[in-house]
Amino acid sequence: MLETLANLGLGFSVALSPPILFYAFVGCVVGTLVGVLPGVGPLAGISLLLPATFGLDATRAIVMLAGIYYGAMYGGSTTSILMRIPGEAASVMTCIDGYAMARKGRGGAALAIAAVGSYIAGTVSVVGLMFLAPPLAAFALRFGPPEYLALLLLGLFVLAYMSSGSMLKSLAMASFGLLLGMVGIDQMSGYFRFAYGVVELGDGLGVVPVAVGLFGVAEILATAGQATPPQVVKPRLRELLPSRQEWRESAAPIGRGTVLGFLIGILPGSAHIISSFVSYAVEKRMSKHPEQFGQGAVAGVAGPESANNSATSGAMVPMLALGVPSGPIPAVMLAAMMVHGVSPGPLLIQQQPELFWGFIASMYVGNVVLLILNLPLVGLFVNILRVPYPYLYPAILVFSILGVYAVNGSVVDVWIMLIMGVLGWVLRKLSFETAPVVLGVVLAPMIELSLRQSLAMSDGHYAIFLQRPIAAVLLGVGLLLVLLNLYSFVRRGLDWRARLALAEKGEET
Amino acid sequence: MRARRLAGIAVALALFVPHLAVAQESYPSRPITLVAPFPPGGVADLTARPVAAAMERVLKNPVGVVNKTGAAGAVGMQFVAASKPDGYTLLLALSSISIIPEADKIFDRQPAFTVDQFAPIALISADPTILVVRAESPWKTARDFIDDAKKRSGQISYSSSGIYGTLHMAMELLSHAAGIKLRHVPHAGAGPALTAILGGHVDALASGPAVVLPHIKAGKLRALAGWGDKRVAALPDVPTFKELGYPDAEFYIWAGLFAPRGTPEPVLARLREATRAAVAEPDFKSAMDKLETPIVFKQGDEFQRFFDADARRLAAGVRKVGRIEDKK
Repeated sequence: MLETLANLGLGFSVALSPPILFYAFVGCVVGTLVGVLPGVGPLAGISLLLPATFGLDATRAIVMLAGIYYGAMYGGSTTSILMRIPGEAASVMTCIDGYAMARKGRGGAALAIAAVGSYIAGTVSVVGLMFLAPPLAAFALRFGPPEYLALLLLGLFVLAYMSSGSMLKSLAMASFGLLLGMVGIDQMSGYFRFAYGVVELGDGLGVVPVAVGLFGVAEILATAGQATPPQVVKPRLRELLPSRQEWRESAAPIGRGTVLGFLIGILPGSAHIISSFVSYAVEKRMSKHPEQFGQGAVAGVAGPESANNSATSGAMVPMLALGVPSGPIPAVMLAAMMVHGVSPGPLLIQQQPELFWGFIASMYVGNVVLLILNLPLVGLFVNILRVPYPYLYPAILVFSILGVYAVNGSVVDVWIMLIMGVLGWVLRKLSFETAPVVLGVVLAPMIELSLRQSLAMSDGHYAIFLQRPIAAVLLGVGLLLVLLNLYSFVRRGLDWRARLALAEKGEET
Repeated sequence: MRARRLAGIAVALALFVPHLAVAQESYPSRPITLVAPFPPGGVADLTARPVAAAMERVLKNPVGVVNKTGAAGAVGMQFVAASKPDGYTLLLALSSISIIPEADKIFDRQPAFTVDQFAPIALISADPTILVVRAESPWKTARDFIDDAKKRSGQISYSSSGIYGTLHMAMELLSHAAGIKLRHVPHAGAGPALTAILGGHVDALASGPAVVLPHIKAGKLRALAGWGDKRVAALPDVPTFKELGYPDAEFYIWAGLFAPRGTPEPVLARLREATRAAVAEPDFKSAMDKLETPIVFKQGDEFQRFFDADARRLAAGVRKVGRIEDKK
């Protein structure tokens, strides 16, 4: 403990030195921009800036790249809340309740809660990273394909909580999303599935073009299709800050989101995306008013936005403690270290204490910088809503196309986004919800890969899921959840139908 | 207003006219694009950056790296294969350039590109893969490993960067040469494959040395043998499969520079000469040193021979793997 504090002192002496402070600041600003721009997420941002760090020393480079990563999590909520366009994939859930809040004139409050939640999550999770990195990293490695599959199946239950309307419709949408997730090269056999000769489809349908299309473009089409343009919601200054009650409602979700995000973030893969989905489901499950979700529930913004931020620190745990690239973003950061002759590995903390502790301290500093940067921006961003729709929407469409194109430089992605936009508009007209489609697209490739990897490991024996303790426990929890739901389902069978009919009626008005 | 417009026209002319004049004269007269078909941070990207920087200094002309990624490199390679053969679009390819068209053949599909759509310029680096197992595993030598694999056919598992990927092919060549059968667990990239062996979910991995060296030094992994024709400099005690009597188990993760077929010979000659000068630069050498990747420079017939031999070995490997679903 004492040693850690002494080390942290060393870290702060590095982090507060002007050059490091400068690069942390640059990283945070770029990250915020990358997050705000529709579609472009932290991976694209870090990849684009990686070459620019080749001239810096290792500590500066890594501090700047990390700044982009967690900065993007702050910025990602902005367009989700104001325009229903996910700034990056981990902000998909924020689109639902954040945008609903903005429609009610609480856009400023949603942005402020997202920023403060991100700050708390960011700071607390760095404490976790500092004290728990080595033991947690060892635990994370025990998460192999069978454990991952069990976790993802638990994640599928999220589906059940995502819809505020008909369960049947939302399951249909989820299945549709899972089917869309089947497009692309089969990882186990190399077979091109549903690619029809388009090589770019080999990587499947990206989460970003699908989400921007289904949410953002569909929203624009729906608004444009109305006979009279909707009233512009003019935000008033005193409404920018969350009310006392909104703060009270967001406190617990921020806390839960922080812990959940950190724990899920440690696991391999694109965990920050999953963490936001799981947090949303947990909040809806815990809420006393689950019916408010989808209609502008504060917890639906506070939870996921905290979770995706705290997941970024979690993702650093295996990277720093073991030198293991646990996801695409840590992999790029490891490459940045290698370019500077720092070999990442289990010995990094001992061999490069300035780098490790300087990095940790810079994350504390960076989160403060981001809070200071983002809170005043709330006032600025909210003013975007004052722009009349005939000017605002074409501009958003242009930025969406630019953003989606910029991620891979692929025109195919732009087409996917536009087709999904039209599809999303049709689905809305038929009052289907589109969030389960996105969840399906996210989960399908992961579920498939981890299932087939598990079976490859066991030579086709399903017993592997029961022989491994972590996987068995997770599957047991899942089974329990199913039984619990079935029980209440059977018990109130009749009035469930009655309520469904009512709910559908409510949707159509 | 008018003055500004005039100035604009003047600038446009100034930019345009010399360009027209030079285009007739010598190559290169405008920026060259070097396509890395893999994302930033991967081997191709990290090799392409210093190559581009060094060539830029030699040619005194901008050389920019563009990451055109997708479908395990096929998107970027197809892009270069289809681009104008004028020397302004080049490709930095890895060993997989010979694998992808073979895999396409196996599935009877229209290949995204073929190897003969490219004109080889130079080989930049070639890193033999090495076989690693976890430190607590029972195998102390490659001999132990192969003997055990013979006894327990299909029981010992390994992770790879993906089906028909480089790390998969290395293991297949070994299995073929040693007459053993291993259990393949593909992962989505070299990073997850490394995570899988460190976490104990698979028994073995073929990997580029730079990535696993820190884990060998930290006592987590043990190197058993290498696929090169010489031992890896950082691991002088680790034998090669060749020494152990398996000459067919030879495999390198190599990086080479290619132009589209049909690029005029004078342009290719200029590029070869520039690459030769570029790899000799101290800055380039120190960049590759930091990545712990040995520079292996070959060009002309020498590169063509290396490339052909490698492609032959890989094609045989891919054919041996065949279509996965046909086997069950």
